[in-house]
Amino acid sequence: MKSIKNTILYAILLLAAFASACKKDLPVDEDGLLITTRAECFVSNFELLGTDFITVRNGVPIIDTVAQTIDVTVNFGTDLKNLYPQFTLASDCKLDPKIVGKVDFSDLANPKTYTVVSGNRKVRKAYKIIVKVQ
Amino acid sequence: MLNIIKCRTYMAGLLMAGLFASCEKDEYKIPDPISTITSDGIKRTLGPNIVSLPIEFVYAMAIPKSIGKIASAEVQASIPGATGTYLEHRSYYTNTSGVDVPVTVGSPSVTTGNSTKVTFSVDTNAASLRYFYIVPQEAMGKQVSFTFTATGSDGKTATYKMGPYDVSKMEIKKGLAVSNNNMAFISIADMAVYNAASAASNAANIDLVYLYRTTPVAFTHGLVAPAADPAYLPGVTLPAGVSNNSKILKVWNLQDRNLAGLQFGIYVDDKDFQQVDLTTASNFATGLRAEAGVWVETADKKFRAYVFINSVNVNGSAVVSMLRYNMTTK
Repeated sequence: MKSIKNTILYAILLLAAFASACKKDLPVDEDGLLITTRAECFVSNFELLGTDFITVRNGVPIIDTVAQTIDVTVNFGTDLKNLYPQFTLASDCKLDPKIVGKVDFSDLANPKTYTVVSGNRKVRKAYKIIVKVQ
Repeated sequence: MLNIIKCRTYMAGLLMAGLFASCEKDEYKIPDPISTITSDGIKRTLGPNIVSLPIEFVYAMAIPKSIGKIASAEVQASIPGATGTYLEHRSYYTNTSGVDVPVTVGSPSVTTGNSTKVTFSVDTNAASLRYFYIVPQEAMGKQVSFTFTATGSDGKTATYKMGPYDVSKMEIKKGLAVSNNNMAFISIADMAVYNAASAASNAANIDLVYLYRTTPVAFTHGLVAPAADPAYLPGVTLPAGVSNNSKILKVWNLQDRNLAGLQFGIYVDDKDFQQVDLTTASNFATGLRAEAGVWVETADKKFRAYVFINSVNVNGSAVVSMLRYNMTTK
């Protein structure tokens, strides 16, 4: 009787092992983020913060997802060398390059470019940040 | 088999011993009554210890009634306190409404050298006195410690040592009134505000210009380095020789308690001055409002300062306070 119980137990364990082995893990990218099936790739909102972590925007940013530009007007007196940009992206997207601290936006003639990468990591869209001072 | 039996017997023996031990009742022993004068103390002041500001302590002492009464209380500081240092001659208790109520226990304290003493004039067995040590200039960057001593009428003493406490290298200046086109020139080196005429004679020390402009709308109150782009100094004629290019970094939500009139629970400390990154800082800050602040580094990099805006007025004036840190002293 005892041996039958053991056999059933081993059989269940074996099945569980097979089941887990058959399950396919979702892949992750070099940043450890899940690569999903989503192909959406756009910026939905943009923010610029000053050194005091208060917005320096003057009005809402104009995000053109076709031309892939973000036009933002900042207040007079904004310290353009020390700004913290913040992006809101479509689900599962990520940004390249990453924002790790203050960013210098003082070269108005050469706007900074950030690339949005879709959740499936197959679509890349480069957005130009065009800053104008009030 | 024999081993199992031995083991079981041993376990049973241990269990029985445990049962007996748990039944034993410890007799309560009345503690020995305190038969001499005793004392205790706490430091009430939080945050950095800054020259010219007080460090507050409370020193409590008690003596059994059968022994006598408290005769005196004394504090010895390792570095004599600045003018204004005193030991309260009133003992406080907190009433049911949470209000501290003073009870006079002696004559006002007398300070001689590094010693501050209160001689009791009432017959009391317990008191808690507050001690306000005004940090003297010579203590800057050093350590200071305190020895509190209570003396009973029987001549015996109780001593309580406190410290050592580090004294900050920061210097503080509060309540500097600045105004548009008048008292507009701020010196970090002098920790003072000048008008145009005085600024000309202290030109090398002028690090900031205060100005207020209604256009553009975002300008309002500004602190700008004399060498900044003239766009940030509209309508300002700088006195001869005023040309320092200070670094300025605008901040918000850094309401230092000492600068903000004992509001808020934030302290700027020496370490903040050492660690703040001003390498890419600009030389202007506009759109300032009450409770905002700016980190400043003088052009010669000798001083760093945190200038806090206490209040602003739409007629083009403001009250600022500053903490300054000398970057050159070790």
